[in-house]
Amino acid sequence: MVCRHGRLEAVQGVDLDVAPGERIALTGTNGSGKTTLLRAVLGLHRRVDGEILVGGRGTRTAAEWAWRRRACAWIPQRPAAGRFPLLAGELLASSGSPAEAAEAAGRLGVGMMADRPLSSLSGGQLQRMHLARAVGCVAAGAGVLLADEPTAALDFAGQEEAAELLTTLSVTLLVVTHDRAMAARCDRTWEMAAGRLREVS
Amino acid sequence: MSALGQIGELWQLVPVQRAGGGLLLAAFGLPIVGVVIVGLDIMPVRFAMMHVALLGIAVGQLVGLDPVLCALVACALAGAGVAPLARTADGLSGAMGLLMSLAIAAALLLLALSGVNANGAFALLWGSILAVRPADLAVLGALALAVPALFVWRRRDLALLLHDRELAQCSGVAVQRLTVLLLVLVAVAVAGAIRLTGALLVDALTLLPALAARRLGRSLVSITAWAVGIGVVVNVAGFLLSLAWDLPPGPVLVLAAGAVALVAHLIPERRTRSWRLPAASSAPSPH
Repeated sequence: MVCRHGRLEAVQGVDLDVAPGERIALTGTNGSGKTTLLRAVLGLHRRVDGEILVGGRGTRTAAEWAWRRRACAWIPQRPAAGRFPLLAGELLASSGSPAEAAEAAGRLGVGMMADRPLSSLSGGQLQRMHLARAVGCVAAGAGVLLADEPTAALDFAGQEEAAELLTTLSVTLLVVTHDRAMAARCDRTWEMAAGRLREVS
Repeated sequence: MSALGQIGELWQLVPVQRAGGGLLLAAFGLPIVGVVIVGLDIMPVRFAMMHVALLGIAVGQLVGLDPVLCALVACALAGAGVAPLARTADGLSGAMGLLMSLAIAAALLLLALSGVNANGAFALLWGSILAVRPADLAVLGALALAVPALFVWRRRDLALLLHDRELAQCSGVAVQRLTVLLLVLVAVAVAGAIRLTGALLVDALTLLPALAARRLGRSLVSITAWAVGIGVVVNVAGFLLSLAWDLPPGPVLVLAAGAVALVAHLIPERRTRSWRLPAASSAPSPH
């Protein structure tokens, strides 16, 4: 698969096969194309040549895109503070199973902030909310979790907690991370450099 | 004569009753349209729609159809047409500027071709709240029902879409369809409101309550409720003031709404509770 930003080929000739239930850590230098790769899976990056299949399904129709986005939970890199206020509880509810997401938020220590707007949360608290939302997505039926630096804004204890939470979910996990402890918990580690992918362990 | 007496006397007049009813109806639909305008960050939409409406009028006069109807259709089409540009964060506000320039150029060209005086075409755009007809009241009534209904029905999707488009997309919201629907609604409401109330009053009825509410509310639901509340209060109070002192309603309403928006911005931001959790719950348990 190839992804372009303007004339730049951000992802070049990537061919990756992930077995169901496998946990993959995606590492690599800044700007090497990791985020673009994840966004291409979700259709947020549009200029893609090649084919991405999830659960054997492509994305030719709107219905297939809708299935893809239900099947893949997403934790965005640097979650947007948003142009318009959104309550944390509304973010949790958007996962499709509000109760499980709220319960996960409680475990992550942000359960009592559900009635606060996201813009009033700190970076780490926002990241915890997105982790809790991802748990809700999995409870609602997502079989794949695409996590983009899910521990970058967390304190040391939080990084441990998040890595534990992510690797114990029964999903196929693709996590972009610079956190060695997180990578060590995964089954395989792939490294990206200048848009190309190679397995390192 | 006392101010109260003057209000009572003027209220006997049918146009005044219609204007009051129209303003009250407008207060339920238009401030919510304003919330969408603020949420999508398309403040220049009024200017864009004025020019697109003019283009619609020019087309109507060239082909001999009802110019006002053509103006509304042109605005609806323009709203739907710019929807694909919403994909990037600042795509829409740029598109509004482009739309404005293109529409005015095309309108002037068409008016020149059809030999119609541009001022005459412009005059069709300017309404006045005191000249509201029963048909206009029906349009305002439809907006007053349809817009809040859409907001109640789709509030979760709308909250996600206005917050972050990509997050909404990944949460299963049909962002493309919803964006088209919102833009058509905004375009038609703004164009219709210009026709009904005059260009100046559109800001008082849509944008200013929404701007004040954006400052006072913390979520889409509370912002929308504030916007409608402010809209109703401003419209009723402004209209009564203008009757009592025999002033033109448009400017009085704009000034009243502007004053509320200004006050809302001067109120110190409500202190959010501390970032930290309350001490009692975060302290380690003694057991």
